[in-house]
Amino acid sequence: MDSKEITGEWDYSSLPANVLLGPGCFIERKESFRRFRSTRDPGLRLGANVIVHTWAEFSVEPEGQITIGDDSVLVGPVFMCAERISLGRRVVISYQVTIADSDFHPLDRAARRRDAIANAHGGDARLRPPLETRPVVIEDDVWIGIGAIVLKGVRVGRGARIAAGAVVTRDVPEGAWVAGNPARATDAETAS
Amino acid sequence: MTPILSHDWFDRPVPDNVRIGAGSWLHSAYAFLHNCSERPCALSVGRNTGIYQGSFFELGPQGEVRIGDYCTLVGVIIACNGPVLIGSYVFLAHEVVIADHFAAVPWRRGADSICPGPQAEPSVVLGDDVWVGARATLLKGARVGSGAIVGAGTVVDFEVPPGAVVAGNPARIVRRAHA
Repeated sequence: MDSKEITGEWDYSSLPANVLLGPGCFIERKESFRRFRSTRDPGLRLGANVIVHTWAEFSVEPEGQITIGDDSVLVGPVFMCAERISLGRRVVISYQVTIADSDFHPLDRAARRRDAIANAHGGDARLRPPLETRPVVIEDDVWIGIGAIVLKGVRVGRGARIAAGAVVTRDVPEGAWVAGNPARATDAETAS
Repeated sequence: MTPILSHDWFDRPVPDNVRIGAGSWLHSAYAFLHNCSERPCALSVGRNTGIYQGSFFELGPQGEVRIGDYCTLVGVIIACNGPVLIGSYVFLAHEVVIADHFAAVPWRRGADSICPGPQAEPSVVLGDDVWVGARATLLKGARVGSGAIVGAGTVVDFEVPPGAVVAGNPARIVRRAHA
């Protein structure tokens, strides 16, 4: 392996044309885009001075679109995006975080069976039932802790803190702290 | 001086302040991708300990990790700016993170960090014979007593008594050692 591809010294112009980078961005690892399949324009927009570390993954479906605000630090988010995930400015996402705007499989049992067959080895993925998607919005100055998971349809209000290991299934108000699985309101003392 | 690992694929050397004991294994100098430790010994490892792919030492300038003998680190990220003390016969499963801050980020030289500055107390201490399950997070203040078990996905920033089992999120002690 060429170590330039894992230390941020690779040629960012080799990214797909629908990836827009603001000035001063750092993208450590080229492989972060291995599962980037967006056909939207832009499919990904990074603001100015965004830092994208080794563990980040942009797993984006053809209809998916991600925007990241200025001065955000993405350490280890796995973005699983089928519609839209947007992050504000100065958002910090720590290690081993997952953010998804869909469950990526139906919940109804009969539909799951059709999905399993269409997805199986030798199956025809065009026969998959449609995905339910709901956009995820992370507002300015939010910090997302180690190993947290943020699920579809969630809006995290400005300045909120998501504790390590939290599984967020509902909206988080501005400035709130949440922790646990499922995530519930807590105080800063307990969560940090 | 630690020589370049003979099996390594990464073209940077292991930092000079890393000491690996006889019979121990380190997957790659890639583990020190973001290491900023300026301590005389950033990492010391005893004998017959394995540190496998996916492990990273994301140490701040005052970060310092000591690991005993016969440990297995399947893929742990340690992001601390103080001492981390790990005993012997310790098992750390996949995607375990040990950090000073709930939203830790890698240290970058010359950049501000949201992570706290150095402290006198160790960040995290794990006794002998401790097992830590996959995706557990050990935050500053975690003191896991000898023989204790931390369940998968559990977040610990408190003292776990020797021999106890702690699990769940929020964490609770689900079993205590027999007296």
